[in-house]
Amino acid sequence: MRIRSTREQRIRGFKSVLRWILYYAVIFLCFLIMTSGTWMKPILLVPAAIAIAANSGQYSSAFTGAVCGFLIDIACGKLTGYNAVLLAFFSIIVSLLYEYYLRSKFVNYIVITAVVSYIQCWLDYKFYYEMWEYENVERIFSQISMKVWAITIIASVFVYLVIELINRFFLPKDHITIEEAVNTAIRSERK
Amino acid sequence: MRDFVKSTKFKVLLGFLAFLIGIMVYSVTKGGYSLSGVSLFNTVSKPFRTVSNSISRNMEGTLDRLAHSDEYYEENQRLKEEIGELNRRLTEYEALKTEVEELRELVSIKQEHEDFEYTQACAVIGYVTNDPFMAFTIDKGKEEGITPNCPVVTAEGLVGITVDVSDHMTTVRTILSPDLSVAAVSSKNSKDMGIVEGDILSAEKGITRLIHIDKNNKLKAGDLIVTSGTSGLFPKDYSIGKVKSVSRDSNGLSDCAVIEPCSDISRLSSVYVITDFTGKREEGNEN
Repeated sequence: MRIRSTREQRIRGFKSVLRWILYYAVIFLCFLIMTSGTWMKPILLVPAAIAIAANSGQYSSAFTGAVCGFLIDIACGKLTGYNAVLLAFFSIIVSLLYEYYLRSKFVNYIVITAVVSYIQCWLDYKFYYEMWEYENVERIFSQISMKVWAITIIASVFVYLVIELINRFFLPKDHITIEEAVNTAIRSERK
Repeated sequence: MRDFVKSTKFKVLLGFLAFLIGIMVYSVTKGGYSLSGVSLFNTVSKPFRTVSNSISRNMEGTLDRLAHSDEYYEENQRLKEEIGELNRRLTEYEALKTEVEELRELVSIKQEHEDFEYTQACAVIGYVTNDPFMAFTIDKGKEEGITPNCPVVTAEGLVGITVDVSDHMTTVRTILSPDLSVAAVSSKNSKDMGIVEGDILSAEKGITRLIHIDKNNKLKAGDLIVTSGTSGLFPKDYSIGKVKSVSRDSNGLSDCAVIEPCSDISRLSSVYVITDFTGKREEGNEN
């Protein structure tokens, strides 16, 4: 096995710290965009939480998901903690999916974002509007929830690009030893 | 995956989720006040949000001008023609100006309602993201004497009520929301009374409704609707809006009027919060 030098470990730690600072800067920027202006806006913090969870462990994903959720609660005027529970849960699931089943590809990310943001919009509609039986409540779903969902998916492309850019420079790459590479090659040849 | 379910990590994460649910339940019990953490974050993020909101509004304005340039050109041509006509009326206007200024003083809210205690002018920091009923946040909070359920007004009329109060920020629920009911009455005839309550269709157009009006009402388009003050949540005789039309309610038992709010709720830049007034109920919830 290759043993990392102290210098390599220090650089790796520094990059990791910088990566998380940039992640949280992106999260805060998403929050500011969400709270500015009068137009309908995407829930940018959902794709941000997913993109971060795709490359992180379960603990950090859960914490980041909770932070993103709290910020959505503040921006959208929802009950404090409601979206935090939701996004923390989904971030853990996404982190596990990427660890065990999925590869870090754009298609996977966009499908997961579409599913999670749809569930978030749908639950928001159910709990905050439909449950209270407002007159013509279905218009909220068609005119707001679905539009927000659509623009969230579109905007998630940009969030993905930003997070990928951060990952490209600051995500520590797993080292592979020559021995491991040879073993993998032998296994694939046998197949 | 099975190993994960059996692991300590799984239990820790479950505990974390339970903790978040605990926060959610706790925040329900706060009765209109933000959690201290949220309050602190709101205070810290306020300058950033103010700056980003002004940038965003400028960008929206620029994009709007670009997207509707043809319409603006046509409107400009039409307005030029109207200027000629308006110039003719200008002489007439000058004569009326003095009278109007006197009337403005007459209806000036501070003169008319000496018992009201206002906050300083509160800047609208931004509208709540994707809220169909145009709820918004203002830059004053608990530190400035605001409590939940304080009326929020402009010089033109009632805007809404405070619902989520942080130290230096407050969320305002508007009269377009179906969650806010305001007892109201016609300024002309005190027998024409009802409840001002928004609904989804009306909120899309920036208007609200006066519901539960007696079928024998004498309301007509242009009548001013004011607060009745019976609940103790809103001061008496404060302007809400003007009647646009009156029709029979879907239940057939009462009438319903479409109300155009005196203030344009979608374009507010500053508002006032009435922290105290004669007849205010200390603890109550009309909405």
